[in-house]
Amino acid sequence: MTQSAKSKREVQLEDSIPEAGAPLESILCTEELRGRPSRPPDYEKENRAFVALMSALADSPSTIFQTLAETILDITQCDSAGLSLLTRDGKKPDVCGKRFYWPAIAGMWNPHVGGGTPRNFGPCGDVLDQNRTLLFRHFERRYPYLMPVIPAAEECLLVPFYVAGQAVGTIWAITHSDRHKFDAEDDRVMASLGKFASSAYQALGHIEDLKFQVVEREKAEAAVRELANGLEAKFRCLVDANIMGIFIWTLEGRIVDANEAFLHIVEYDREDLVSGRMRWTDLTPPEWHDRDEHAVAELKALGSAKPYEKEYLQKGGNRVPVLVGGALFEEGRNEGVAFVLDLSEQKRAQENWKEAQQALQMTQVELARVSRLTTMGELAASIAHEVNQPLTAVTNNSNACLRLLAARNLEPEVLRRALEEIVADSTRASAVLARIRAFIKKTPGERQELDINEVIQEVLALARLEFSDNRVLLELQLTKALPPVLADRVQLQQVLLNLIMNGIEAMNAVTDRPRLLWVRSGIDESGDVLVAVGDLGTGLGLEPDRVFTPFFTTKANGMGMGLPISRSLIEGHGGRLWTTPNDPHGAVFSLTLPVAAGSP
Amino acid sequence: MTRAPVVFVVDDDPSVRSSLKFLINSVGLQVESFESAETFLQRKPPDAPSCLVADVRLRGLSGLDFQRELAARNIPIPIVFVTGHGDIPMSVRAMKAGAIEFLTKPYRDQDLLDAVRIALERDRTRREQEKDLTDLRQRFDSLTPREQEVISMVVSGMLNKQIAGELRTAENTVKVHRSRAMAKMSAQSFADLVRMIEKLKGPAKKAS
Repeated sequence: MTQSAKSKREVQLEDSIPEAGAPLESILCTEELRGRPSRPPDYEKENRAFVALMSALADSPSTIFQTLAETILDITQCDSAGLSLLTRDGKKPDVCGKRFYWPAIAGMWNPHVGGGTPRNFGPCGDVLDQNRTLLFRHFERRYPYLMPVIPAAEECLLVPFYVAGQAVGTIWAITHSDRHKFDAEDDRVMASLGKFASSAYQALGHIEDLKFQVVEREKAEAAVRELANGLEAKFRCLVDANIMGIFIWTLEGRIVDANEAFLHIVEYDREDLVSGRMRWTDLTPPEWHDRDEHAVAELKALGSAKPYEKEYLQKGGNRVPVLVGGALFEEGRNEGVAFVLDLSEQKRAQENWKEAQQALQMTQVELARVSRLTTMGELAASIAHEVNQPLTAVTNNSNACLRLLAARNLEPEVLRRALEEIVADSTRASAVLARIRAFIKKTPGERQELDINEVIQEVLALARLEFSDNRVLLELQLTKALPPVLADRVQLQQVLLNLIMNGIEAMNAVTDRPRLLWVRSGIDESGDVLVAVGDLGTGLGLEPDRVFTPFFTTKANGMGMGLPISRSLIEGHGGRLWTTPNDPHGAVFSLTLPVAAGSP
Repeated sequence: MTRAPVVFVVDDDPSVRSSLKFLINSVGLQVESFESAETFLQRKPPDAPSCLVADVRLRGLSGLDFQRELAARNIPIPIVFVTGHGDIPMSVRAMKAGAIEFLTKPYRDQDLLDAVRIALERDRTRREQEKDLTDLRQRFDSLTPREQEVISMVVSGMLNKQIAGELRTAENTVKVHRSRAMAKMSAQSFADLVRMIEKLKGPAKKAS
């Protein structure tokens, strides 16, 4: 029997919602099998059936199930016969499958090949649950979604189907009219044929597995061969490319072969190599022999030696620094390959780097000086404004008095108020000047005992205008009576001013929260004096420590020198300067300074 | 002008603010002072000649932004800037935007007072011109459409006869329209009338 796509009717059983149908007992009539008059076993026919199954197995194993269905149709004289298998992937029988799949159907239901029923809502499920043959009459009364499957089933005989000792499906035979009733002989012959088909199926499985294994093995072998060829080719490429020196050696000291790059490093030519005069033991200066022996031991033990630095003697007697690594070709053999990198360039670069570092340090010192001058310049502008304001007021008030006096219109009360203001503004101006003097007078490098709070106040006075211009609020938390630190006042002011200015600048773009800068002083766990400056600015991102790298800047007009210099100044005082994120916004810069010796 | 001129001082430093007020008062000028541009902007523009004396470095709206804001609000008040440390680009910007003077502290009091006088004078002139123009427009608007038509033709140089032909009316009728219009416009002569019409046209052209 064939199944054409045209005749096949798709029945979407899962789509039908199973309703509470008739109870199982009401549709079962298994016991009737015993009572019905049974026909005698037809062994001849049964044998023919076995032969059919066997030849199916031999000729086209995939049709074994269909042959089984057709054989059952023939032997039981029913109207439809088929096989239901529990499956998960729709192909292989699986005890844990959620659904029965119909791989083969013969007779009137043949168009339904490929269909199936859910595991828990069908006659097959009940058979597996009870693990015995069941005879159903009008099973659609219990399984309503089988109703649309036509023609309707009168009786259905289901026999469990085992694979590897486990019931994974059923073999079934159906009558669509009452002209024929199943008997005990049908039960027996179906079980018998089922057992045979099951063994055949398992054998088939083994054969398929075996075939698969053979194919896999061949594939794997091919891959290994390809890999080996590829590796060889790659190795050859590496040797010929002369990117690095490569030579083939023996443990005894012979150099069997070498590429141009290696010969170039040691300044030998190919004749030397061909003549067999070259020995790697001779190429090595005596003081490196111990290191070589260590490498040979490593090679013998592990098959390879980690790259190490050594020197070779060139043909002319000069030494060349190299990096050498090697590997034995095969364990137990004494031949291997060595890779050699000429380190002369790197060594030279290292020397240059040291010089560059020194130059950089010089530059940093110079920049520190320039930066200080720049800060002073910026401060000067700020200070000019600070002093100008009270002076302007003094001038205005005095001029007004002079004019009124000239007009003989100056009331004593007016004059008194003007003079009071003049005095107040003059005092204000001289206070600013006193601060500037204190800031400038101290010669750099002069260490003295300082009250950190005093220094903070001085710097805040200098930065006062920056706060108001940028609308930044200041929160000051100074711990009273801190022990003095031994420090250079100007340098300390420089650092603090830098941190405060940075904090103010970091909040330039902030509009959605208060622009608050806090300055705290105190003592840390180790007894050092601690100052922290925190802002609610944009923060420093994932690697805050980068800001201490020279020339790194997050500011549009920044030079990237302020913080590196600040750090070196603080470290020059035996202290530390570092940054941490301020939760949830901004950054905190903290510095510690050791307490001056002799103070409590 | 009926009302006395006013000088507005805007400076966020209280001593500077009060001393400026005192200084300007001392020459008999009325002064109102404000601590920020924002508080000044809340005040209704005065109906008298006035000028501003403002610091460029103001907390909040800076002096130059203040100047821009005034222009945007169509408040044509003359400004005298004073500053602690103004640079050249800043003063150039301020002057280009119409500032009267840009004084750097410490300035000579006479310079400041001169600048204030110039500013007030300029504002007075502007107001007078504005008032003249308003009067003129009112007078012109009081003409009948036909009188306006005749006047425009007269000013463009057409003879009475030509106008009569153009309007398909008697030459005498044109003469009557013309003399009535002259009287309504208070024009002393034909030349006077031409000047008046040119004045009316001037700003109208600019606006279009």
